[in-house]
Amino acid sequence: MRDVYVLGGVQTDFERNFKKEGKGVLALLKEVSDDLFEKTIIKEQDVRDLNKKNKIALFIGNFAAEYYINQGHLGPLMTEVNDCFYGVPSARYEAACSSSSVAIDAAITKVKSGDYDVAIVIGFELMKTVNSKVGGDFLGRAALYDVEAKGIEFPFPKLFGKLAEETIKKYNLDEKRYYDNLASISVINYSNAKRNPNAQTRKWFMDKLQANSRGIETNAYVGTLAISDCSQVTDGAACVVFGSEEFLKSKKENLNDYPIVKGYGHRTAPFIFENKIKESKNNNYILPWTRQAVVDAYERANLSVDDIDVFETHDCFTSSEYMAISAFGITEPGQEYEAIESGKIAFDGEKPINPSGGLIGCGHPVGATGARMMLDLYKQVTNQAGEYQIKNVKNAMMLNLGGTATTNYCFIIGKK
Amino acid sequence: MREFKKVTVIGANGAVGSGVSGIFASFGGALVYVVARSKEKAEIAKTKASKSVKASSIEERIVPKTYDDLKFCIEESDLIFESVAENLEIKKEIHETIAKYAKEGTIIGTGTSGLSINELKECYPNYLKKTFFGIHFFNPPYSLTLCELIPTKDNNDKSTLELEEYLEKKLFRKVIKVKDVPAFLGNRIGFRFMNMALEYAYKYQDEGGIDYIDSILGPYTGRNMPPLATVDFVGLDIHKAIVDNIYESIKDDNFKLPEYVNDLVKENKIGLKVNEGLYKKSEDSNLVYDIKTNSYREIQKYNFNFKEKAIEEFKKANYKEGFNYIKNDTSSESKICLTFLLDYIVYAIELSKEISEKIEDADIAMVCGFNWLPPLSLIEVLGGKDEVIKLCCKYLEKKNYKKVFEEIISSKYDYRSFIRAKE
Repeated sequence: MRDVYVLGGVQTDFERNFKKEGKGVLALLKEVSDDLFEKTIIKEQDVRDLNKKNKIALFIGNFAAEYYINQGHLGPLMTEVNDCFYGVPSARYEAACSSSSVAIDAAITKVKSGDYDVAIVIGFELMKTVNSKVGGDFLGRAALYDVEAKGIEFPFPKLFGKLAEETIKKYNLDEKRYYDNLASISVINYSNAKRNPNAQTRKWFMDKLQANSRGIETNAYVGTLAISDCSQVTDGAACVVFGSEEFLKSKKENLNDYPIVKGYGHRTAPFIFENKIKESKNNNYILPWTRQAVVDAYERANLSVDDIDVFETHDCFTSSEYMAISAFGITEPGQEYEAIESGKIAFDGEKPINPSGGLIGCGHPVGATGARMMLDLYKQVTNQAGEYQIKNVKNAMMLNLGGTATTNYCFIIGKK
Repeated sequence: MREFKKVTVIGANGAVGSGVSGIFASFGGALVYVVARSKEKAEIAKTKASKSVKASSIEERIVPKTYDDLKFCIEESDLIFESVAENLEIKKEIHETIAKYAKEGTIIGTGTSGLSINELKECYPNYLKKTFFGIHFFNPPYSLTLCELIPTKDNNDKSTLELEEYLEKKLFRKVIKVKDVPAFLGNRIGFRFMNMALEYAYKYQDEGGIDYIDSILGPYTGRNMPPLATVDFVGLDIHKAIVDNIYESIKDDNFKLPEYVNDLVKENKIGLKVNEGLYKKSEDSNLVYDIKTNSYREIQKYNFNFKEKAIEEFKKANYKEGFNYIKNDTSSESKICLTFLLDYIVYAIELSKEISEKIEDADIAMVCGFNWLPPLSLIEVLGGKDEVIKLCCKYLEKKNYKKVFEEIISSKYDYRSFIRAKE
């Protein structure tokens, strides 16, 4: 099996509202492909040349285009954006909010096996076509809809509010301290986003007092969590490209300039949230399959938490980032508060999480999030993250969740 | 970074005053004394301030005060920001009061959008002149992050740098330093564009006037709202005050307010805030003021082939191709459209060379103060410098455009998000 290199990628500005701009999916994808050819080593001619030899493919990540933009059959969309994609194998991959991670997994596999020399992953979601209530219902399809979401307003914040309650119960935590920790997670993500020129909330205000003032007019409750605990409704796309050694050599690139994929983990937990909690009753980890996906990635990479210099995690809600801290192995389960209170996961901490701002700060166009995380890992490892660059990153890890941590995806990349 | 723990905002119940109070209390984390004519107005200022930054928690740091408390507020504060009505006498009175009580080293700012900073400076003794600045925020400051900083020759570098750093790093403003000229940089460029649109509406009243011009210069040309709808939104009275002030000082005809607008202002038809101005909304119809008949009529739909074609291209993110339709069209409407866009570029470049430190300040001003497609990136989407010089020679008055465009650099902004694929 061959090494798989991460060749770079691009993302759109997550602050944008495509509906307000009068634009749809073709404009979004056209901009992504224009940027890809302009800002990375992949050029339009490469696509044409590789396509002749059947050595390139497209992997599209998206969750709910059928609902948001009345569009299915997403694989062929790129052909309407640039005719260099005529004939290029392309298909859509779906796993709710981890859709582009499945696309990444497929892309890596195809490069690893030698089938393709270049695999382009594009994740996208246009979510601002509908109001937040309707959108919330669409997103309910990432849970077992009939049981957990049908007829419920904003089902997902409520489900992750249950995770918060179960976390307090399981580890016998002080409730006030726990929610204060969640407020810190929110503030860290918002303040990290200020350094990221593509972050949706880069102009927004959030501080500890506001994040802790749950229930006030500007920070209303949605279940047991409040608005400040939630990620955003975002329009956006992210693209990341994987390639083989042969391709890099053909482009006369120095192999040492590019990170390789070192490991992955992919585990599926019981679909219904209550069944997850039932299953984990006697386990130290509240979401053991999330932890297992992390462990699998470490084992495949032959690395441990000590080797990871930066993390991007799935903070769809503050309670999911809280859980991720121990899943990564940064603390023991039940002691996540230590890493928050000591500043360990802060931008200048020993184990920074989400220097990009994460889903809360940078934004969460659900089908794009996995690809956006991978792109941020690439930027960190290759020292191209600009103002949000973490110093001396050798290895970086991401955790992308689908549903209520039902689909769990991890990747580790780093210099060889 | 210098800390400003206590801030006083005088005239805090106005739109800018309350918005700026919100910025000081949120990003600035300061205790803010919001001063208004009455306690009730000061209470309203507090609520408006927290609403403007979508964080009611900051109300803990906002203290409503009245003019009776000025001595206390001024003595206590590290920074004082004046945001009272745009009237020299009123402002002078306030600044003379500040001068009485402010301690040396206190940063004092006026939020004037048009009056002379140097004239207001004279309200102060020398030891306070050193720390007196024009600090021009845009409204609403939470979403429009432009801040024009106008230093005077009395400021020392240390206090200018301290203030600049505070505005940039703590309050997350985009700061440009400009000279003390009427309306500074952003408003000069923006209000000239809008005033010219008012003039053109008069000139083309037979073709439809106001809605005709707006349909030529709509969102597809790089703005949220067409220019005359923007005048209506801002208020015809505000527009008049700004352009009158500029015209009085520099006598540039492009800032001369057309007579019909004066008449509308006299009749208090000042725009959206009174629901009647250039446009008028009623329950079942959207009306526009018809200059020719001096009455309101239904808004018309104007079909311009070049515009429809351009929008079709923008929908596919083919921006340059879209602009080619505008460039290659021969209708009088495309000519008007290009004339405006080119004039906007040329004026922005010339003015920024004259009154700010860098040409790219014009880009910052138009993006962060108006949310308009910035001039330097407009050059790019129109086909680059040489192409734009050619177009200027064709559509604008005779001038040495090569010289105008001599030191042009490429824009730091991406034009794509500004160009709307809609009328």
